[in-house]
Amino acid sequence: MSTLEDQKHAVSDKETESPAAPIILFFIIGFAASLIIGWGIFPKLLYSQKRQPIDFNHALHVEEVGGECESCHYFREDGRFSGIPNLATCMECHEDVIGASAEEEKFVTEYVIPEREVPWLVYARQPDCVYFSHAPHVIAGKMTCVECHGHIGESVQSRIYEENRITGYSRDIWGRNIAGLAQNPWERMKMDDCSKCHVRENVNQGSVQTQKGGCFVCHK
Amino acid sequence: MKIDRRSFLAFAIGGAAGTALTPLPWKLTDDSSIWSQNWPWTPVPAKGENSYARTSCTLCPGGCGLMVRMVGDRAVKIEGLEGHPVNEGGACALGLSGLQLLYGATRVRAPMKRVGKRGEGRWEKISWDEALAGLAQKLAKLRNDGQSHTVAGIVDGRYGTVSTLFKRFMTVYGSPNMMTTPSAGDTRAMVLQVMHGVEAEAGFDLENADYILSFGSGLIEGWGSPVRMFRANSAWRESGAKVVQIESRLSNTAAKSDRWIPINPGTEAALALGIAHIMIKESLFDSDFVENYTEGFVGWKEVVLDEYSPEKVASITGVDKMTIVRVAREFATAGKPLALCGRGRGDTPGSLSEAMAVHTINALSGNINKEGGVVAVPPPAYAQWPDMEMDGTAQNGMVKNRVDGAGSDKFPMAASLLNRFAAGVAAAEAYPVNVLLVSGANPVYTTPDADGFKKAVDNIPFVVSFSSYMDETAMQADLVLPNHVYLERYEDVPITAGLQRPMVGLAQPVVQPLHDTRHVGDVIIQLARSLGGGIGDAFPWDDYETCLQEVLGAKWDALSEEGLWQDESFEPPGWGESFKTASGKFEFMNPEMGLMPSYVPLGLEGNASTFPLVLMPFDSMRLAAGFISDPPFAIKVVEDTLLKGKDTCVEINPETARSLGLADGKPAVLSTPKGKARVRVHTFQGIMPGVVAIPRGLGHTANDKYMAGKGTNSNALIGPVEDPASGMDKAWGIRAKLAKA
Amino acid sequence: MKEAHGQKKNKKFGMVIDLDKCTGCGTCMVACMAENNVSFREDESDKLLGSAWMRVYKITNGKPFPETDVCYIPRPCMHCEGHHGHSPCVSVCPATATDYDMHTGVVSQIYTRCFGCRYCMAACPYHARVFNWWDPVWPAEMEKMLNPDVSVRMRGVVEKCSFCYHRYQHAMEKAYYEERSDIEEDEYQTSCTQACPAGAITFGDLNNPEHAVHQLVKPDNRHGGRPRNPHAFRLLERLGTNPKVYYLSSREWVRRAGDNYVKNEKAGSGGH
Repeated sequence: MSTLEDQKHAVSDKETESPAAPIILFFIIGFAASLIIGWGIFPKLLYSQKRQPIDFNHALHVEEVGGECESCHYFREDGRFSGIPNLATCMECHEDVIGASAEEEKFVTEYVIPEREVPWLVYARQPDCVYFSHAPHVIAGKMTCVECHGHIGESVQSRIYEENRITGYSRDIWGRNIAGLAQNPWERMKMDDCSKCHVRENVNQGSVQTQKGGCFVCHK
Repeated sequence: MKIDRRSFLAFAIGGAAGTALTPLPWKLTDDSSIWSQNWPWTPVPAKGENSYARTSCTLCPGGCGLMVRMVGDRAVKIEGLEGHPVNEGGACALGLSGLQLLYGATRVRAPMKRVGKRGEGRWEKISWDEALAGLAQKLAKLRNDGQSHTVAGIVDGRYGTVSTLFKRFMTVYGSPNMMTTPSAGDTRAMVLQVMHGVEAEAGFDLENADYILSFGSGLIEGWGSPVRMFRANSAWRESGAKVVQIESRLSNTAAKSDRWIPINPGTEAALALGIAHIMIKESLFDSDFVENYTEGFVGWKEVVLDEYSPEKVASITGVDKMTIVRVAREFATAGKPLALCGRGRGDTPGSLSEAMAVHTINALSGNINKEGGVVAVPPPAYAQWPDMEMDGTAQNGMVKNRVDGAGSDKFPMAASLLNRFAAGVAAAEAYPVNVLLVSGANPVYTTPDADGFKKAVDNIPFVVSFSSYMDETAMQADLVLPNHVYLERYEDVPITAGLQRPMVGLAQPVVQPLHDTRHVGDVIIQLARSLGGGIGDAFPWDDYETCLQEVLGAKWDALSEEGLWQDESFEPPGWGESFKTASGKFEFMNPEMGLMPSYVPLGLEGNASTFPLVLMPFDSMRLAAGFISDPPFAIKVVEDTLLKGKDTCVEINPETARSLGLADGKPAVLSTPKGKARVRVHTFQGIMPGVVAIPRGLGHTANDKYMAGKGTNSNALIGPVEDPASGMDKAWGIRAKLAKA
Repeated sequence: MKEAHGQKKNKKFGMVIDLDKCTGCGTCMVACMAENNVSFREDESDKLLGSAWMRVYKITNGKPFPETDVCYIPRPCMHCEGHHGHSPCVSVCPATATDYDMHTGVVSQIYTRCFGCRYCMAACPYHARVFNWWDPVWPAEMEKMLNPDVSVRMRGVVEKCSFCYHRYQHAMEKAYYEERSDIEEDEYQTSCTQACPAGAITFGDLNNPEHAVHQLVKPDNRHGGRPRNPHAFRLLERLGTNPKVYYLSSREWVRRAGDNYVKNEKAGSGGH
């Protein structure tokens, strides 16, 4: 009888030996691990790192071609924007190698000669449901290229293109910061970011359901 | 430290709490929802530079001008060309679906040689060199054996450089057997030949007419130049012009008209002559024209007064006497009356005597070569061809009798009688047909008694199709040499579909050829050159484009700049110069040749007790029934009262349905002396009791799954009836039976 | 409602279809499909399943031969305004996938928000909305003819006529490029309007007295947009949907059929 009681006491003694510590410890380990994964490892896994097919030097071209962004990124007569220049535009100067860099030689060999369009990776590419037009922003809204696209014209190298493995979109859309916090338009451009400015500038706020922008203003 | 359940749970809860404080769950949710919208098989069309390319539509004889919107090098939308005199920016359902022909699955992508049996659909892709060498060899051998005349050809029409190149080839090669797909335009041209003594196409100054009397013509069903007709119809609404439609069925034209006159099927000629009767009796005709510029009025007048009294006509046509008299008076006293004929879209030639009868009331009202009237438009002669020399073989071949009997003593005026070809091949009276070349036509589908035509083709040892599409005729071919689709090629487009002045359009390529196809003009030139000798000499151009530019001469600049050339200075001659008959005047009839404006009952095939109903085909703007068949967009808009599932719906009056024990929507069997088919019943009050109407354009067995196996080919159930006067097919229907399935 | 930035009066894009001119040719249906990447299937004879934004209906006067008469009625989306922008479909959408824009009067449909509950299809009295039961298939090279200005839909979403709103977007784009802030009447026309060979369809701003649509029907904005032109009518007027597609017909039986008049009902007695 006494051994059973002794054993009971022994067990209960053991239990009062600060049993909470391992549990809290496990909690803390789990907590910390998930924070590290969520903030650190997850973004690394989520985004694939891709390089542009040709490492393009904007600063050099701005200097050589002259003019501003408009020399290569211009409006067409129907008001549409030309976007990234096509091969024909580049070939106006680069029909043959005109510089000394290995990248340019690669460009001429792999793209100019076989007449293949360069498959540029577009950082600012929005989903198909989005209708964005440069004309109301740049011409009517008098915005500058830098305001939304940042100082890309001063770069000497092409930035790494980080592509979300699940959605296929550029990291610049959700945001370079995994939390989606951004200071500048070129760091994040989801629907709310477009809407924030539209509300502030009172652009087409005609929606009956939301009292904000009509859907067809930015969608198609 | 022992890891037990509690510690594991603590770890998990810690993990969950931590995860909730990271962006991971929100980001993954957002990303997953985006992922669910980005299935790889939902295409995202690429953006690109927008531009417009101009061309001419060739899918029907209408000749509309087109603007094609391009994104980069892709054609994304066909639109009507603003400012084009024919269509002024409008288009039709078929025209707008044209891109599906360019990018579609029916395309033949390279020269194909048949393997296996005809019709099995098994093909071997071969190179152009091999294909042309093989064909040239066959043709050369036939020629050397003195059998050049045993080669026959079928093309879409008489005019245009491609048809002319074909004809030129056949001539220097030595075969007279060049045929064209028939139409009501052929009959109208023959009327002008007989009554005016001129070679011309019938044009109509519809826009200026104020009383249009249509004998079954589908004015908004695709007759003439369809988009032009729609615009004219709208213009009539505004100008107050009156349209009277004479038809057994409430077609769209009849519904839109100011008065619909239901008539017993096939009796239109009687009504026309009944109207002539009243115009003559009540002296409501243009006496200046009749007395000074016509021949044979006295003799003809007697026949009309004798045989076409209102009472007689009323009993033949089923139209009551008062209506006949009233319409006759309205027509005769209108400022600019115009009578039209050519049933439905005008796909069948129809009776010459009927067309002549309708033309006589135009003559009586004096609207010949006048504003608002019938205009004899000279055939398109805008190209200058170099002379060609025919060697002995060619000359021998060209004097042989044609297989279809056109131009023979029996049918001296006919240029082509495709309706007689099948019988001619089967009979092989003078010689068999050894080779058949088909371009821009699908006769295995479009010829009445389609099965009979197919059997005839079975007897021809070698058949070549130049079609861009794997249609019924191409399926029966031994060699398919695919032409570029119209959007990929240059070609002149002469517009003879009832326009009142000569006009030519230009089809221009809007895209580079997608597949390994070749312009049929290039093929003819290359074939001729490889045959060499006199044949090669007759084709002194390197390719079709060079040929086109040379033969068009100065007109090429106008055409390539404007996409259109029209003879703006054209004015029809006065009555003094209009007629080149033996008498130099308008001739009401030619009794020696047996050519009389008259009502001749058709003599419908089939006996009335076995086949108590009368079957008539009808046309719909949504159903193409010629060389081109409906692309997917067009067949999609066909009503479910014409096509339901895989069944053609036939239209009958509810009274007829009741008497036969048939109900709306239910399946039935339609039989005619030519065949039978499973159909569905569509009851409609707008059709005369005892008449069954079947839409044209269904029942394809080739092309792609969007078109094949749907419905019944009306041409398989209706056979041709030879017009003894013209040799052409004058059938408008056949006897039929409709019974429960 | 806040006034638009840079724009003056609200626009109200609408359409007038002249049923006396409409020939039932079906061109408008094909023009719409070609412009808006509408899909097609092998068997399109079951009209309840197929996707068609513009549909041409055929009605008859019900009289026996030979007094029978028919009329064709092209029916795009009516872009109903209801009361102050509460269209039947907009009011019921749980996902705000469809919305009414007071500046243009157009009811938008955004496919990425739609999850296919089809409540809007039940709400629409005109059967203007269609559901993509299947993923569209573009055979052979037909993907090349897709219009990049219009989103391509996948299965599971509802779609409807958008009054070719992408054409408005691009017309405005051109206007901005030319430093204008507004467009002319002919710069924004829907695909069906442009294609109609009979000129039966007219499109424009109902609020603009210079536009043809306003002059043809003379809408009375104090009475829910009812037309003052006695030959003009709207479908199902008495439901109070305030649609923006007006019809013209000189035939009384057609006008009566447009609002389901009962046999002996007097004309003009319907409506709110």
